[in-house]
Amino acid sequence: MSSENTFHGWACSGKDQPLEWRELPLKKFEDDDLEIRVTHCGICGSDIYALDNLWGGTDYPCCVGHEIAGVVTKIGYNVTEFSVGDRVGIGAQCDSCGDCDECNNDKENICRKGVTTTFGSHWKCGTKTYGGYADKWRGNKRFVFKIPDGLSNEEAASFFCAGVTTYWPLKNHGVTKGSHVGVIAVGGLGHFAILWAKAFGAHVTVFSSSERKREDAKQLGADNFVVSKDKEAMKAQVNTLSHIICTSYNEGFDWIDYLYALVPNGVFIMAAVPDLPLSNIPGRVLVFRQISVVGTAIGSPKTIREMLEFAVATGVRPWYKKYPMEKASEAVQAVRDGKPRYRFVLEQN
Amino acid sequence: MHEQMKVLFIIKMCSVHSFDPILHIFFFMLSSPTSTVADNDSFYGWACPGKGQPLEWRQLPLKTFQDDDVEIKITHCGICATDLHVMNSDWGPTDYPCVLGHEIAGIVTKVGADISRLKVGDRVGIGAHCDSCHQCKECKNDQENLCRNGTTRTYTGHWSNGDKIYGGFGTKWRGKEHFVFKIPDNISNELAASYFCGGIATYAPLKKYGVTKGSRVGVIGLGGLGHFAVQWAKAMGAEVVVFSSSDKKREDAKALGADDYIVSSATTAFQENNCTLSHIIMCTSFGIEFDWSPYLSLMEPNGIFILTTAPGSFLEGIPASIMLHRQITIVGAAVGSPKQIRDMLTFASEKNVKPWIQKYPMEKIEDVILNVKGGKARFRIVLEV
Repeated sequence: MSSENTFHGWACSGKDQPLEWRELPLKKFEDDDLEIRVTHCGICGSDIYALDNLWGGTDYPCCVGHEIAGVVTKIGYNVTEFSVGDRVGIGAQCDSCGDCDECNNDKENICRKGVTTTFGSHWKCGTKTYGGYADKWRGNKRFVFKIPDGLSNEEAASFFCAGVTTYWPLKNHGVTKGSHVGVIAVGGLGHFAILWAKAFGAHVTVFSSSERKREDAKQLGADNFVVSKDKEAMKAQVNTLSHIICTSYNEGFDWIDYLYALVPNGVFIMAAVPDLPLSNIPGRVLVFRQISVVGTAIGSPKTIREMLEFAVATGVRPWYKKYPMEKASEAVQAVRDGKPRYRFVLEQN
Repeated sequence: MHEQMKVLFIIKMCSVHSFDPILHIFFFMLSSPTSTVADNDSFYGWACPGKGQPLEWRQLPLKTFQDDDVEIKITHCGICATDLHVMNSDWGPTDYPCVLGHEIAGIVTKVGADISRLKVGDRVGIGAHCDSCHQCKECKNDQENLCRNGTTRTYTGHWSNGDKIYGGFGTKWRGKEHFVFKIPDNISNELAASYFCGGIATYAPLKKYGVTKGSRVGVIGLGGLGHFAVQWAKAMGAEVVVFSSSDKKREDAKALGADDYIVSSATTAFQENNCTLSHIIMCTSFGIEFDWSPYLSLMEPNGIFILTTAPGSFLEGIPASIMLHRQITIVGAAVGSPKQIRDMLTFASEKNVKPWIQKYPMEKIEDVILNVKGGKARFRIVLEV
């Protein structure tokens, strides 16, 4: 059992090491903090990258998970926005400097002093941050969000990373009725991208490496589905898209067809988090067509709140499957094996 | 067909049957390249006959005069690195013989029946584009430079009527009024020429991406484009930091108005300037060896990295992590549209932004090309007819 200042969570002690359900320290309880009983946690591709040290620099032991949903059990002296019993969620960011230009203008997700991530980082007080494959979470109120009445906790969890990571750049780069959005890859991020783009009123073309997900893409609302290896089909996409959102980037990514699918002044959003540099971009095509390649970083608290309301209003819901928290290892392996259609959510009992 | 030519044709046809050698000789002399009939529809220019070959001063045909055309007597033409690349078939096979030059300034000598904006005697300029389809979404929205049916360049290719296009390293130019611009009264032709490519290539994206008071703009490369970029950004109210491969241009950068100057190997300076730039504009050619990481680290969140040059090959090794965490945009810029060119000329006229030029007579073109190749221009070379 966890004590007052500890929690239990699935910890990984090193690359290729198995997850172990361990007691770990919670941060010191401060006046701006609240504590939650975790009910659900979505499994994000980032979790795997961190566990497997694919970006390098994983600070083991790590406890991952940043699509957290739970119920408030304790609030700090300064916390007026939440009450015990509120259903809330936390995403990939749990703190920021609070002082820079960005933080002062609802852009905490690009805080220039560096974002504090929900796992793999350190709180200002020095304690390591741990994520939601756990029974409890404790942290700063600024990055905790009330789950609206229209969403259950198990539905809400995935919005806090995959949801906002795709919602924000589509919104930020002006996707609206009349836009034509290309979505590269149908996965956790990709399926959300399709749902959001449709909810914004756009036409959606999905690009996938095989035929397998054509039916799913259609059910998600996509208007068009193109197998990226089919050169003839790709040629037919020339000058059709106002935006592309890329949710999967690997070695050998072939930029040229996508840069031609965009209309002049088109925007290519990199929503995936590649573990290798971007390369092989035909520079002249970028210049002559005035294409933008843009990076995007989750979303600010303001954006997250807006997204949740928008989801309730438009009915956007992730496609997810639940696993019991005890089966986290099995669920994580299934994600490594590419099994989700399209999110796995751990459920705590 | 010209009336005199028709008469000659009839005489020739008659002479075929009677085989009168005197008439043949007479015909040949009248239709030779030095005849005044052909002069009205031809120009003299520095033609490149083939890759690596020396330029030749040749008489070549102007396009057929159409109702929406204007003709100009060229007074000046700037040299752009693109001219050298096209002459050398660096970006694909060039249709030789070619006459390059797309920073053209001159005086209108003739206007077509449909012309309303320009008149004979106007001082005008032409840039990198000389036509577009006028039908596509881009053309209909003041973005002719992005015409999706293919822009027409001032120095290569063919007009829609099939005539070959020649550029401004010569005596005359004839083409569509739509892509010809009046030079403001307070700018001379010799200074105006460079605006039409180097000027607009840097003005348009700096303006489009919101450079203003409070912006801090990095200019990579202080050459033809870079020296314009520094001046535009300062005129827009921004602070400017110049990045160069050596210390050589520090004084020039200061004289142009730059607030700081950093040599590309100065690691400490890069670290000190971490997260300080709202914009970077790349004003030099670069290849796959370009190290993105130190430059992207200079960018503030939501920073914009503008590419004005068309690199030979691919962009390689862009660190994904910083692009994402700072939401950096890397965007291409393709010179500018007629509307942007006009905005630029008004802005230049009001803010007194002028290129630093080195003027040479048109005959010296071979020598000046060597200077441009050697990076010796300070900062734009302009040929005078």
